[in-house]
Amino acid sequence: MEREEINNMTDNRPLSPHLSIHKRVLTAVFSIFHRISGIGLSVGSLLISIWFFLISSGPQFYVYFELISKNILFKLVLLIWTIGIFYHLFNGCRKLYWSFGIGMELSQVYRSGYVVLFLTIISTLGVWYFV
Amino acid sequence: MVEFSLPKNSKVTNGIKHKPKEPSKSPKNLVIYRWDPEDNKNPRLDTYEIDQSKCGPMVLDALMKIKNEIDPSLTFRRSCREGVCGSCAMNIDGVNTLACLKSMSDVKKDIKIYPLPHMRVVKDLVPDLSKAYEQLASIKPWLERSKSETKKKEDKIEENKQTPKDREKLDGKWECVLCFCCTTSCPSYWWNGDEYLGPAVLLQAARWVNDSRDSERKKRLTAINDSLKLYRCHSIMNCTRSCPKGLNPAKEIAGLKKAIVTEL
Repeated sequence: MEREEINNMTDNRPLSPHLSIHKRVLTAVFSIFHRISGIGLSVGSLLISIWFFLISSGPQFYVYFELISKNILFKLVLLIWTIGIFYHLFNGCRKLYWSFGIGMELSQVYRSGYVVLFLTIISTLGVWYFV
Repeated sequence: MVEFSLPKNSKVTNGIKHKPKEPSKSPKNLVIYRWDPEDNKNPRLDTYEIDQSKCGPMVLDALMKIKNEIDPSLTFRRSCREGVCGSCAMNIDGVNTLACLKSMSDVKKDIKIYPLPHMRVVKDLVPDLSKAYEQLASIKPWLERSKSETKKKEDKIEENKQTPKDREKLDGKWECVLCFCCTTSCPSYWWNGDEYLGPAVLLQAARWVNDSRDSERKKRLTAINDSLKLYRCHSIMNCTRSCPKGLNPAKEIAGLKKAIVTEL
């Protein structure tokens, strides 16, 4: 076979499918949500600071503060933000003790994942119940 | 670079349905990724029906049956057929594993078979592993001893003995058959495979770092202490999940990170 023909064949090699065909592994889902919640928290904290800033800006801005606070969409965002903060906190703890090489057996990783999920739900409910 | 969708020439199309010559007693469909470098077409998914009552229990048995009886052009790597050589690594039912160790009865529906994910395909189920092998060579997967460590007795080099306890430290590392199921299941490796070494190679790094006979532990740790080579590992655990030998690369990588913090 001509060299050129061989080059043509190897250059055109397709990339095998990856994300679309690989099974969703729960541990990987936990991992990607850690990142998503991290990004969400960065953006969210900015929005929350604006919200707080409105209170400190005096009475003429308080109307806006009230308007936003009563908005159902805002409450929903705040709820997601609360979930994000607790998830990131508990999963962060999990990653922290992994750094010591502890709890890295597959069964332990699954179990601690469920614990994180449970704690996140409980804490979020707690905060929204008491506050 | 993170690129979620496949390039144009890699999009998978529908392929041919190969009908069996005679009706089968217990039919099973295998949907297999096909790509031939000699025709200028996109990869396709071919369906083959086999009779399980006339076939061995493993996915590899079915692949060989197809190659022998239905379609001799089907291409895949295989050798030992008992999980020792690591040749028949492929993505079966969404998880990377060895075809010779994966039982067909584990998959309830049609068995979908793809080559190892996010790799250049040479043909059908054969991926190009040259980059991964290069990365393996980069961690020097052999015993290294500085001259001062080599004991000499009357001009004869003495044997390097290892206590059973030191030997135990290599358990869970030496068993790796380098099938690269773990490496190609790792999303970090998909996006940063040019620089990130991947779980299989890092497991090998750990195998040599923890060998009591090797005198270059510090040097080895320094060599992999790199934000891209090592720290692209985010403990996603896909590697451990898919290892057909039941090893735990993620744990060994955590061990390497810990050793770097405490020893360097």
